[in-house]
Order: sequence, then C-alpha cells, then structure tokens
Amino acid sequence: MLLELKNIFKWVNSGGQRIFLLKDINLSVEEGEFISVMGPSGSGKSTLLNVIGMLDTFDEGEYHFLDESVHTLKEKYRSNLYKEYIGFVFQSYHLLDDLTVYENLEMPLLYKKYKGTERKAMVGDMLDRFSIVGKKDLFPAQLSGGQQQLVGVARALIGKPKLILADEPTGNLNSQQSEEIMGLFKRLNEEDNVTIIQVTHSEKNAAYGSRIINLLDGRMI
Amino acid sequence: MIKHNVLLYLRGIKKNTSSFLINLIGLSTGLVCVLLVYLWVSDELAMDRFHENEERIYQVFRNIPDGQGEISTYRSNSSLLLTALQEEVPEVEKAVAVYRLEAGSIVETEQKKTSAAGYFASEDYFEVFSIPLVAGDKSRILNDMNSVAISRKMANSLFGSAVNPIGKSVTIKNGEEVLEAVFTVNGVYEIPRNSSESFDFVIPYKKFLQDRNPDYIHWESNSSMMFALLRPDVHIDRLNAKMDRFIKNKDDDNRASVFLARYSDNYLNGRFENGERAGGRISYVYLFSLVAVFILLIACINFMNLSTAKASKRLKEIGIKKVIGANRKTLIFQFLVESVLLSSFSLLMAYLLAWLLLPWFNNLTGKQLFLELSPKLVFALIAATLFTGLLSGSYPALYLTQFNPIKVLKGKISSSFGELMLRKGLVVFQFCISILLIVAVSVIYMQLDFIQSKNLGYNKDNIIAFDRQDGLMNNMETFLEEAKKLPGVVNASYMQGSMTNFNNSSGGHSWPGQTEASKNLTFRHAHVGPNFIETMGIEMKEGRSYVNEKSNNGSKIILNETAVKLMGLENPIGTVIDMRGPNREIIGVVKDFHIQSLYDEIAPMALLCRTQWVGTLLVKIKAGREKETIASLSSLHEEFNPGLGFDFRFLDTQYQQVYQAEQRVATLSKYFAGMAILISCLGLFGLAAFSAERRRKEISIRKVLGQTVSQVTVMLSGEFMKLVFISMLIALPVAYLLATNWLSQFAYRISLHAGYFIGAGVVAILVALLTVGSQAMNAANKNPVYALKDE
Repeated sequence: MLLELKNIFKWVNSGGQRIFLLKDINLSVEEGEFISVMGPSGSGKSTLLNVIGMLDTFDEGEYHFLDESVHTLKEKYRSNLYKEYIGFVFQSYHLLDDLTVYENLEMPLLYKKYKGTERKAMVGDMLDRFSIVGKKDLFPAQLSGGQQQLVGVARALIGKPKLILADEPTGNLNSQQSEEIMGLFKRLNEEDNVTIIQVTHSEKNAAYGSRIINLLDGRMI
Repeated sequence: MIKHNVLLYLRGIKKNTSSFLINLIGLSTGLVCVLLVYLWVSDELAMDRFHENEERIYQVFRNIPDGQGEISTYRSNSSLLLTALQEEVPEVEKAVAVYRLEAGSIVETEQKKTSAAGYFASEDYFEVFSIPLVAGDKSRILNDMNSVAISRKMANSLFGSAVNPIGKSVTIKNGEEVLEAVFTVNGVYEIPRNSSESFDFVIPYKKFLQDRNPDYIHWESNSSMMFALLRPDVHIDRLNAKMDRFIKNKDDDNRASVFLARYSDNYLNGRFENGERAGGRISYVYLFSLVAVFILLIACINFMNLSTAKASKRLKEIGIKKVIGANRKTLIFQFLVESVLLSSFSLLMAYLLAWLLLPWFNNLTGKQLFLELSPKLVFALIAATLFTGLLSGSYPALYLTQFNPIKVLKGKISSSFGELMLRKGLVVFQFCISILLIVAVSVIYMQLDFIQSKNLGYNKDNIIAFDRQDGLMNNMETFLEEAKKLPGVVNASYMQGSMTNFNNSSGGHSWPGQTEASKNLTFRHAHVGPNFIETMGIEMKEGRSYVNEKSNNGSKIILNETAVKLMGLENPIGTVIDMRGPNREIIGVVKDFHIQSLYDEIAPMALLCRTQWVGTLLVKIKAGREKETIASLSSLHEEFNPGLGFDFRFLDTQYQQVYQAEQRVATLSKYFAGMAILISCLGLFGLAAFSAERRRKEISIRKVLGQTVSQVTVMLSGEFMKLVFISMLIALPVAYLLATNWLSQFAYRISLHAGYFIGAGVVAILVALLTVGSQAMNAANKNPVYALKDE
C-alpha cells in the first residue's frame, strides 16, 4: 500500500463557527492506481490533494505514507519524504518564467543534490522522452499552454516519484492538448507503474483513471 | 544551484531594470559616503599616532582659575619645569621642552633668504617624537648650541635637492631679541603626513635659555610647551594627583596646577573646558561616521521595502521552488546571495565613484587622502559589502520564504497589517533622517552667514596684514610712516598677535576699588601701535585714543568696555592701575570688539601702546585701489627687506579661515542631505509605483463609480504624504534640540525661528509630492476597463 488516510478532519474557524474543509476522509491508495477526484467547486478536492502531497496540514486523523506516519513527522522529514516520492502538476503549470525549459527540468535535481553529469543525463532523457529536445533553450512564455504543461509533467517526473499529484492539469488547455496530457498520464501509469491522483472537473478526463472519488462539502460520497 | 540562482537573478534584473537601478544607485551612493568618510575618519584617527611611543607621550597642561568662576587651560609652561620634570618626577623617563617661534622667522644663506616657522627643542626631542631623520644622529642632533636641524623641504628650498645640506651654515633671525645667530646644519628630517605639527627648523632649547632675558625665567613666565615620555606602567591618574600642587610647592603665590594629558589626543580632543578635555574635532568624526552610516541605512531600507513590496512577483518563484523540493534554508541563502551580489555591484560602482570624487573630496576636507587597496581597506570594503548585503537582504529573505507554498501559488498572500506598518515605519525613518539633515544644513549656513556678517566691533574690510620680520624689526615705524604716504593707503598700524586668533593674556593687576573676586581677573593683553584703533575702525566709548598722545604712551592704557565693567570702575578715565610694571593711567575705553572666535564671549582686554613683542603690521587700503596699492607696498617692503618676498594676507580671508571647519561641515552636510533626500525619494518612487500597481483594480472601480482623475491622484499621493508628515512631527523636535545644542557652543549665535523648520518640512513635502504625484497621476489616468478585464 502506498498511502492511507484514516478519519482525516480539517477545519477553519470563522466567526466562532467551525467550517469543515475535510470531514472524516478515509482513503487508501495502492501503488499503480490512477485515481480521479471529482466534485463541485469548494468541495475540498484541492485541499485533499494538498494534504496528500503534505503541502497542507490537517487537524485530526492519521496519514501513513509508505509505512511512515506523516502526522507525527517533523516538518523537515516530511519535506524530505515528499521531495523523494511525490511530483506535482498544476493547472497553471507554475514553471519558472526566467529559466529555460532545460533549466526548469534541472531545478528539482539540484535540490536533490544530483551531480552535474547525472543531471545532464536525466534531463536529456526527459527531453527525449517528451520529444521537446528542440525546445530546451526556450523560455516558458515562448511555448503553447500544452507544451508548458508537458514541461510541467516532465519536471514532476524527473525525480522518479512514486506518486504524481495533478490539480486540474488540463484546466487551462484546449481539448486536443488535454487529450495529449491525459494520454501521457495513462501511459505513465500503465508503463511505468506511476501512481497518479488527479483532480478534475471533466467526466471525460476522469474516465482515464481506474477509480473515481467524489467529494461534496469535504466528505467522500 | 548557485548557477541557476545567479541566472534567475540576472534575468530578473533584465525584467525589473527600474527597481534594480533604484537599488544600485541607492546602495552605491550610500557606499560612496561610507567609503569617503571611512578614508577621512581613518586619516583623522591616525593623526599624531605614528610616534613609536605614542601611548607614553604626554603633554603638560596648566590650569588657572580665570577670575570669573571658570578654569582656563593653557599649553604653555615655565621653562623651569623642564629640569624639574627631569629630576624630580621619577615617572618621567624623558622630558622635552619646546618653544615655538612665532611664524615669520627668517632663514638666510648667502644665496637665499626665506621666511620659516621653527622650534627651539630640548635634547631628547627626536628621541621622544618619532620624526624620521633623513640625515644626522637623533641622539646628538640638538646637543650643540650652534647647530640646527631643518626639514627636507627647507633643505631643498635653501640648497636645492642635489646638495648635501649637512655642515652648511645658515643665519636664523626672529623677533627683536629672541634670536639672531648663525647655525650649522647637522640634521635633516621629514615630517610625516600624519603629523599635526609642521616646522621648518629646530634649534637647541639651550640656545633659547641662553639668550632669554633672565627676568623672564621664573615660574610665572610661561613660554614653552613641555612634553614627557612616561615610563611604562605609569598610572596617569596617580601621577596627576601628585602633580596637582607641583608648581605651588615651588612658587607660593602661583595659582597654576599642572597635569599631564596624552599628546596624541590633542588633535581630536583639543578643547578644554573648565580644566578638562572637552572634545574638539572628534565630534565631527562621530558626526560624519553617523551620517554616512545613516545614509547607507536609508539605501538598505529602500532595498528592503522594494523587495518586500515587489514580493508578489517573487512569491511564485518561491512557491514553485518549495514544491519541487527547496527548503527554507536554501531559499534564505539564495536571497542573501542575491543581495550580497547587488551590494558587490554597488561596491564596484561606489569604488569607481569614490576614485572620481576623491580630488574634490580632498579639496573639500583639506586633506590628501588616497584610495590605496591596503589590507585594511580591502577588509573594510568586504565588511561594508557583507554588512550592506546581509542587512538589506535579511528582511526580504526571512519574510518572503516563510509562506506556505500552496497559498503562495494561489496568490492568497495579502500584506499583513504589521508588514505594512513596518514598511511605512521604514519610510518614516528615511524621511526623518532627510529632514534632520535639511534642518542641519540650513541652521549651519545661517550661523555661518551670521558670523560672516556680524558686526565685530572693527572693520575687517580692505585690511592687509603681514609679519614684522627682518628689516622691519628695527625700522617698523619708519616703514609705517613711509607706507602712510603711499596713495591708496588709508591708515597703518601694528599689533601683537593676530586679530583673528589672539591668545596673549596677563593677570595679577590691581586698581583702586578692586574686589576680592576681581583680583584674579585675566586680561587679553595686546601691544598695539598708536593708530591701531583708527586703522581698525574700532569705536571709542569714552576718552581718547593713543593717536593724540604721542608722548608718555608708556604710562597710559586703554581698556575695552567688558574690562571696565568687570573691574567695577564707575569713572574709568584717569584711574591709575598697576600692571605689574609701571603704573598706567586709563585714557580711553573702546567699545567691545571681537578678537577671538565667536565661540567665546568677549574677554576683558587691555591695549598698551608699545612696539615690543609686536609681530603683525596692518595696513588699511582704499576700496577699489587694492592692486596698485599692494604693488607699491610690496616695493616699499622690498626696500626694507631686500630679497624677502612680500607675504601678506587679507584680514577678511583670514577671518573666514577661523571658521574653516564649520565651512567644511556646512558643505559636507549639504551634500549629505542631498544624497539622503535623493535616496529616500528613489525609494518612495519605487514604493509609489508598486502601490499604484497593487491598487490598480481599486482605482478602476473607483473611477467606474465616478471618481475623477484628480481625486484618485490625491488619494494615492495622500497615502505617502501622511508618512512624510509623520516624519516631520518626529524629526522637527529632534532637529530643534540638536540645533539648539550645536548653537549653544557659540557665544554669539542666531536665534532659531520656526522658518528653518517649516522650510525643511516644506522641502521634504514638495520633493515627496513630485516623486509620488507623477506615479499617482499616471495610475489615475489609465483606462479602468483594462484593469477590470484582467480579473
């Protein structure tokens, strides 16, 4: 088992009232799954994704990731854990505008302290695999949205994570670009056994996954 | 990783050129100030510290109650003190006496004649003071009564640089009776750049003692300066406790008590008040160091404010980096590297600027500073760069890296109340400093103007002064008679000492009706010519001047108003007073005139008509005829002093030189204030631009709802004007206190009025308004549709 959430609660206090963002979430994810999280705006999809990604905390419950109990870990270990095993893909790509495609891909490797030659090989590999070798010296602003997201996915993958968390990865793309990205996810999931959890509004995209989780007002239904 | 961060930084600069330039200009201006002031301060601090035994060299000072409830401190001492120190004070390893010849000695060889300043110094002078010898033996140089040591400059001017001056003969003359003899050169010395003293020749003190009228060798005749090289480990307070009654024990009636004080402190702490050291130039050292650091601080604040204000642009980068695995430490490090990089750029620019500005700065400060990359300077530069970089980078680094990456990426970070307050507080601080400096500049300038235009009680215009030397020693009065006949000469006279820096005094006089308190009254005591009062345009209060009193001037005296008042004389004219010599009858009272700097109150003064000790000739010239009159005076001077150049000075220029330090402070503060305002405004400019950007949507909504362009402009500018206004409220009272304090050291000063302060406030507001207004108007004029569409 890759990860397990047990009775997760998350709330904020507003005007003396407790507003639940996540309410009693129980979820276990096996390695190699491809899960789509759906639900209306404000239902807690992104919050759930961020909790899983350890970017956000929760108020109650237990979270185990690869046999580590995340809720008891210190910040430093937690960030080491997600640095090692988790890659993120965002709706608005979030590439560093002032770095080229090549440099953007290299960035995560720097934080993992890979050596120069290793980095070169890994980035080259990734560029090849996504057929963007010709674009390596361009800046994000010179790419189309689809191409930017391609770089975004490549950046998420370059550290060889076990889990990819994608928050509406095709939200800013047209239908053709969307299909490319979703196809890519499917291939990654099937061929490389990468676990994927994506948040999406689209039934069509959700169908790429192997399991759908529906959220409403912070609860799983 | 460094490579990526540097790349990110450099590419960021390309995108945000304006804020980069604001920071670069600001920081390099701040660093230039620090660099120049550092050079100046280290030069000041090094003055007179080159002596090998500097820590053990002490000077003997003499305290005397001045009869008005205060203690006056003198550097002069009796020549008897030398042997007393050498023989009776075991703590003293070596003692040295120095008699300074008044400027205007004549040094003559067969070929050449030149005017020079010199010392009589006792045998151990070159042993105690480490003045390097170019030729000669320092232990023997002052042993032989007929030998002289000269400076290298003097040697070159007398003999040329090719000739070895050792063994040559020179004739040295000074004053009426002090000196006239032939000496053999047996040493050549070089005065170091960091020496506060400068003299062209040194002759043995023995010679002085030999030629001195024995009547003047006693404990009340104070002519020489005494220095002592103390033994190591002497406790100076204990020694001074012992010295307190040293003179009284030898001379019952003597009111003086002596004490020793470190010689090298004289340069920076040369003033004495009530018998204690009371600062001096050191206050300028502190002042300028402080101002330079403040200016740098203002520049650092710009950097902090701009980088936190522009945070939204950097936050995305930080968020992404955090998500892909950066921890906070690396990010903080990145920011610090960036700011240190910026401060390094600034330093390079500052170094270049300093190099360009140095000749100008030297001219301004009257120094010969140079930029030499000594280890000390390099260390200081690196320290300044790191300090600047780390200080200005610290706040942005800590502030920007603290956020949760998800919130950052979603753009949910809004400026907190505390953060806004901090930014505003920093702006207020900047403007406080700027306003303070503006007030300082205006007050200093007004005071200087006051000094220049103050009625001194005499007319300093069109008067030239020159030394009585050589042929004028014996023929001064003939010379003056001849001079008065020249067309263009209004009047001519002579005096002891100088009109701008007079320090001869006497005491112990008595007169009928003298009270116990006024027994100790000390008088400024000047020998002057018969026409002195007329030449100088001094007004008589009552009685007559010396002009019409040709005979018997030797038994007459003229006093100033203050003297008469302090002596308690109702009808002074005709009163006979005992001047510890012949009794003198008061024939006139002059209105008070200033003969000392305006720092001091007018002292009681006695004018005696005598030629003895007179060193200065004064000639009043008709306005508009200076050139030809000086030419004819010069040829007359040549007749009396063949071969000696006519070296004269205008009294008004000489007067200005008394306040040279203040003039320099004024000029420097002007530039400092300019820089502070410039940097503060650069920062304000950046903040206003950012604020306009941040409030784009708000402005658009306001405009759609019907606010006019001018209303929006006022609203946007108002935000910053409030800050400037608060700065005024804080800075002006502080400025008032500081100005009052600075002025209080002048006995004669301007009275502060609200104008200076309001003026400074108005300048600050106007400058700020111009800076912010343009940005605000720009923002207010934008079409609201575009801003709203963005959402």
